[in-house]
Order: sequence, then C-alpha cells, then structure tokens
Amino acid sequence: MLLSMATFACCDLTASPHLRRCDLDQRPELSKGSVEFVASTEYMVRPPMPPLYFFLIDVSVSAVCSGLLEIVAKTIKSCLDDLPGFPRTQTGFITFDSTLHFHNLKASDSSLTQPQMLVVADLDDVFLPLPDDLLVNLSDSRHVVDAFLDSLPVMFQGTSNVESAFGPALKAAFMVMSQLGGKLLIFQSTLPSLGVGRLRLRGDDLRMYGTDKEHTLRLPEDPFYKQMAAEFTKNQIAVDIYAFSEKYSDIASLGSLAKYTGGQVYHYPSFQTAVHQEKLRYELARNLTRETAWEAVMRIRCGKGVRFTTYHGHFMLRSTDLLALPAVDSDKAFAMQLSLEETLMTTQTVYFQVALFYPYLSSRSVHGNAVSSYQRYTSSSGERRIRVHTAAAPVVADLSEMYRQADTGAIVSLLGRLAIENSLSQKLEDARQSLQLKLVKSLKEYRNLYVVQHRLGGRLIFPESLKFLPLYVLSLCKSVALRGGYADALLDERCAAGYNMMILPISRMLKLIYPGLFRIDENLLLKDLKEGQVPLGQLPLSAQSLDPKGVYVLDDGFNFIIWLGRMLASDLLNNIVGVELASFPDLSRVVVCEHDNEISKRLMRVLKELRARDPSSHQSCRLVRQGEQPRELSLFLTNLVEDQTAGSSGYVDWILQVFRQSQGS
Amino acid sequence: MAWELLLWLLAFAAVIALIGLSAYQLICLSDLEFDYINPYDSSSRINAVVIPEFMVQGILCILFLLTWHWFPFLIMAPITYYHIKLYMKGKHLIDVTEIFRLLNGEKKYRVVKLAFYCSIFIVVIYRFVTTAVLLLIEEDDQALESGIF
Repeated sequence: MLLSMATFACCDLTASPHLRRCDLDQRPELSKGSVEFVASTEYMVRPPMPPLYFFLIDVSVSAVCSGLLEIVAKTIKSCLDDLPGFPRTQTGFITFDSTLHFHNLKASDSSLTQPQMLVVADLDDVFLPLPDDLLVNLSDSRHVVDAFLDSLPVMFQGTSNVESAFGPALKAAFMVMSQLGGKLLIFQSTLPSLGVGRLRLRGDDLRMYGTDKEHTLRLPEDPFYKQMAAEFTKNQIAVDIYAFSEKYSDIASLGSLAKYTGGQVYHYPSFQTAVHQEKLRYELARNLTRETAWEAVMRIRCGKGVRFTTYHGHFMLRSTDLLALPAVDSDKAFAMQLSLEETLMTTQTVYFQVALFYPYLSSRSVHGNAVSSYQRYTSSSGERRIRVHTAAAPVVADLSEMYRQADTGAIVSLLGRLAIENSLSQKLEDARQSLQLKLVKSLKEYRNLYVVQHRLGGRLIFPESLKFLPLYVLSLCKSVALRGGYADALLDERCAAGYNMMILPISRMLKLIYPGLFRIDENLLLKDLKEGQVPLGQLPLSAQSLDPKGVYVLDDGFNFIIWLGRMLASDLLNNIVGVELASFPDLSRVVVCEHDNEISKRLMRVLKELRARDPSSHQSCRLVRQGEQPRELSLFLTNLVEDQTAGSSGYVDWILQVFRQSQGS
Repeated sequence: MAWELLLWLLAFAAVIALIGLSAYQLICLSDLEFDYINPYDSSSRINAVVIPEFMVQGILCILFLLTWHWFPFLIMAPITYYHIKLYMKGKHLIDVTEIFRLLNGEKKYRVVKLAFYCSIFIVVIYRFVTTAVLLLIEEDDQALESGIF
C-alpha cells in the first residue's frame, strides 16, 4: 500500500473510555510490529540500479598453489543461475598479481565467445583500457562468463609471481563500479606489496604488547584503506574480504574496507583445499545468493525522553541517526546504545522504531526462454520498499524489576562489541579490565538493592536473569579477539575474529564465545538406527567433562573440532579416520569425510544434524587426539573456557574475583 | 616606524583570515550536526582549509617572534605547539568514517581556537591603532620641525 497522508489522518474514534481508532484492525501499520511499505518516488534519489557482483581475485602464486582459484571459479559458476536480480544482473572480473588484468566478457554482435584479457602494468596511474565493456549483463554474456570461469584456473597455472598490487586493483575496481554501486568480493592470498596502499610486514611485534602503542597493530596502517572505504560507501559499493594467507596479510587494514562499507570479513587461515573447500564453497554460495538489500539506509527513532547515542557494527554513519548500508542481508546484526535525556520518565511505554529503505528485487531465477515480454518488463523494474519494525518497552520505576527483565544475550553482545572497539584504542589488558569492571559494577548495584534488607553478608547476590552473565563475560575475555597477549592468538586471526564479532547476531555470538561440547561416541556405537536418536546434550566446557574413552565434538558455529580420547577403542578410531592410525600419525592432514563403514556414516549424520541447526555458515571439521601437543592445546583446550589456562583464571576463580570486587563498596 | 605599521597591518589581515577560516570550519561542523550537509562534503570542505590555516598561523607566530613582540607571541605559541603536535600524529585532517564519534571534540577544539584568535584580534587592533596614531603624531612633529625653522 502506498503511503498517503490524506487517507491516514482522519478517522472516528470508538466510544470512551477506550478512545481507539475505529479502523485500527484494518490498518496493519498501526497494530503489527513489522510492516513493509512501498515507497513512492519522492523517497528515491535515483531509480534502483541493477545488482552488480564484481570479483577482484588475487592470482599470485600462493592463490594458485593452494587450489583456491579452482574452487572459487567453480563456486561462482554454480551460483550464476541464482544471483538475484535476473535479468538485469551485471558482473565483472579483475585479476591481479604484479599487474592488473582486465577481462572483456562482452558478447557483442561480433560474437566474442572467448573472454579477452587486457594487462595493465602501469600501477601509478591506473586507467581502464575499456571503460564501457568491463561490466557485462550476466544473461546476455552468460556463455562468455562460463568460458572465462572454466579457463581461470588454467590461465594462471604456472605462475610464479609473488607480488600483489592490491591498491591499484582496488582503484580500478572502484572506477568500474562507481556508477552503479553493488557488491565487490575480494579474494586476497598475500600481503599487498605493490603500488598505492602497500603494507609493510609490520607483523606481530612482541615488544609492542603491553605498551601504549599496542593498539596500533590492530588499526589500519595506511589511511588509503579508510579513504577508499569512504569512497566505496559514497558510491553504494559494499566490500566483502576473503583472506586466505597463512602468513601475515594485515587483515586489520584489509578488514577496514569491509567495516565501513557494511561488508564482511571471511578468514580461512592457511587455506588448504582438503580442509576448507566445503566451507568456502558454502559460504561463497550463500553470500552470492542470499536475499540482499542494495543501497539501503537504516534510520532509528525512539520516543520522547531517550536518545540513541552510539552504534556498533559494520556501516557508515551518514548522520546522527542514519546508517548507510550499501548491501545488507539477514546475517548482519547491529547494536546501539541509548541514553535517557530526562531524569524522570513520565510515559508508561517507550517506543523504538527502525526503518530500512531498500529496493526490492526478487531472487527467483527465471530461466531463459519462457519469459514473455510482459514478464520481462515487470521483473526488470525494481521498486523501493521501507521495512519498519516497531517495538514498545514498558517503563519501570523499580531498578530490581529492570534487572529481572534483563536479557543476557543482548548484554553480552553489546559488551563484546564495546570491548572490541576498546581494543582498537587501548591495550588488550585494559579492554578486558573494563569488561570486568562493568560486570562488577552491575552486580554491585544489584547487591546494594538487597543486601541491607536481607542482611546477606558473605554471598554473591545476582538476579536469575543474569546468572550466566559472569560466565559469558569470562568467555568474552578468553575469546580469540580479546585473549591473552602476543602468544595467545596470531594477529591476523585476532583481527578477523574481532571483525566477525562486530556483525554476529546474538545467538551466533553466544555460540562462538561459549561453544557447544557434545559427546558422540554413544551415537556412533548404537546398533539400531533411528532418525533423531539420542539427543546431543551440551556439556560444560571444562576438562572434567572429557572422558578419555569418548569422542567429543566442539561446535562454535564456524568450526568443528572432534576430540578423540586416548583410550578410545582402536577399531572405532580407525573407522572414523578411515585409515590405519598407526601408519598415519599426523592427524592434521586427515580429512573428515565419509568412509566406507557404518561408524563413519553415523558420524557424518551427526555432523550434518549439527550443521543444520544454523544455516548461515558451514563448519569445517578437524580431528585432534588427546595428548597430541601442541595441536590439542591450540585447537581444543583453549576453547574450554571454564578451565584455568596460563594467564587467565578458571570459572571458579573468576566468580571469586567478581564476588570480592563487588563486595568492596 | 613605518615598518611597525606594515607589520600590524599584515597581522590584522592575517588574524581576520584566521578567524574567518576557523569560523568556516565551525559552521561546516554544525551544519553536519544538524543534517544540512553530508559527512563527505563536510570533511572535504574542512580538510581543504586546514593546511592553509596552519600555514598562516605559523607565519604570524614566527613574525611576532622575529620582531620581538612577546605578548602576541605568547598568545599564539600554544596554538602553534598544538598544531605541530596534531600534524606529527597525523590527526590534523578530519576522517569521514570517524567524524560523528569525534564531532563534539572537534567542535570544542575549534571554539577554543576561535577564542584565542579573537583575543589576538583585540591585541592586534589595539597595537595597530596606537602605532598608526603615534606615526601620525610623529609626522606632525617632523612637519613642525622642518617647517619654519
């Protein structure tokens, strides 16, 4: 329905004392929490542009040797049918190593069936060799794009080029995309080393940890990246970064491109085809085919007496309450803080309203010939929609009531984002301290409400709703982004985890910081098979839950780690692994896949059921054996957050610390 | 004496320019706050005048130092020091991505600078007028001397 003030404004009211509008039931926008409007032309700056997917692929030697190029080419080819926006979708490719390679994919009337490659070696003054032909309509040039993707791995097979002209390639991609906007997917396998925006190997400097300069390691090194990010957002381009290198590739700088354009950072450390190919395939396919809102802006309003002060997530702030999101989808979450303007709230409820303006394009794939001309006309026009979510929260005068209704997940999500933003301007130690301080202060406040009346001297008092809050805060302090110091996490992994945590929805974030631990050896040994058999119960994350005779799976939403106990029966072990373990001691090379025995099949079924719980990412799977150092430590034991590890306290000690600090007034 | 007058004339022009540039930046920031312009335009406008302002202010300060007018120099010195510190840290330009977080801080910084420039303006006006009047009186004296006798 169209927004129109004339029909909206006037209506009779029902008889007192209710005084409601008579047409309240017929108007969904007055009674439903989530409503979508079709926006008239006054709301559009320009008519909706065709969706554009542009790929910037690094073809240096590390990309080719790891098999990455082949998987990327195959996945893109398989997703071409499902890209949204048919038949207007456009696409383009630029590959680069020490030079830029532009690919002309236009199937013009002179029947260009083979893609044409133009190499530009001038990195200082980047220019486009074919200004108009680098972006092609996918449905028109489909056969050329297919031919290009088939030949891509072969084209660069024998390369020995180690350089990467990332900055010039980025500028070239910007020049191509600046008119239309769209999504830019960057596949980077090495440190940018040539041209503007080249990064030094500043790496992980042990001496910097603990000093005031520590946070600069996690900030972009060159202002080029932030400036480019601002330019990208201005032209409605969203950037997703796929990073694959095993050496340092400065994700802190690369990720800032994704951060300010509303994109995402995908990190596959030390990419190996065997381990990561399924994960890459699934996530890339999801990225290309999920429902995306292009050129979106989000505005947040609230009732009288409150004001939104800060926003956390991946976006660009266009105004004090306007978030610019060049491409947004359902996998992203945003957090915002509000502050009370007046000291006394006189209303009974406070309303919050979030509105997202976006053009609507269906993601149905309409296959070629059956499309009539009428259908083609309708589906090629985009309409602009506004999705409005409205929520009301009651105002309470009693602090204890507010504590009772507190939502631990939301609190943890916000605290996590605040801590990561703090880690960009302070030491890690200080960021963790401020987390602990916030926890202690809130518990102290609650304690002060009750301790006098009940005279409970020596106990930790906390509300039922926040009973897991200390555990989650401990898990945050031990998460990859915030843990320890130099030796506890590689700088790239730390930054990638930080960028990841800024966009995760609440349930995924809670799962990431407190992974699920399940014992599965009973499931594997069950003789009679039923669907949905023994339900997997989640165990506490401590070494006491581990039985040396068992098989356990640790699931954090992004990876599975399968832990095999030391005293596990050897035939079970061999069946899972698929080979004789004695002759193959190195478990890091073992790929967990379906072998030809019943146990392995059951294992796959269990993993599939675990994966199905959350369709937004595909967990890669690794095996670890008890006692196999140092892999067991780095992969598995650091995830057991309730245990004490070097430098950080266990759960019991943590609670004691919190208790003691909240006692002192 | 004529050189003095020239100096104060130059200083007068420079301080007017500094006040103008500083006020322009402040207006750009408050336009941004009230949503009259977008952050890209605002930051590019401000960044265009930051370096010229630094240069004019630096030249003025050095001029005061060289001609040994210690009081104006003392007023300008803290600003020069702060400018040099900002330049060394690379924070003198406005970053589009961070501008909303730092909006209040940037506005406060520019209001303080404007206050400094206004106080310098008062000093410069005073010295300019007194120099001009003294010069005219001396000329009158000289005219008296070389007139009849």
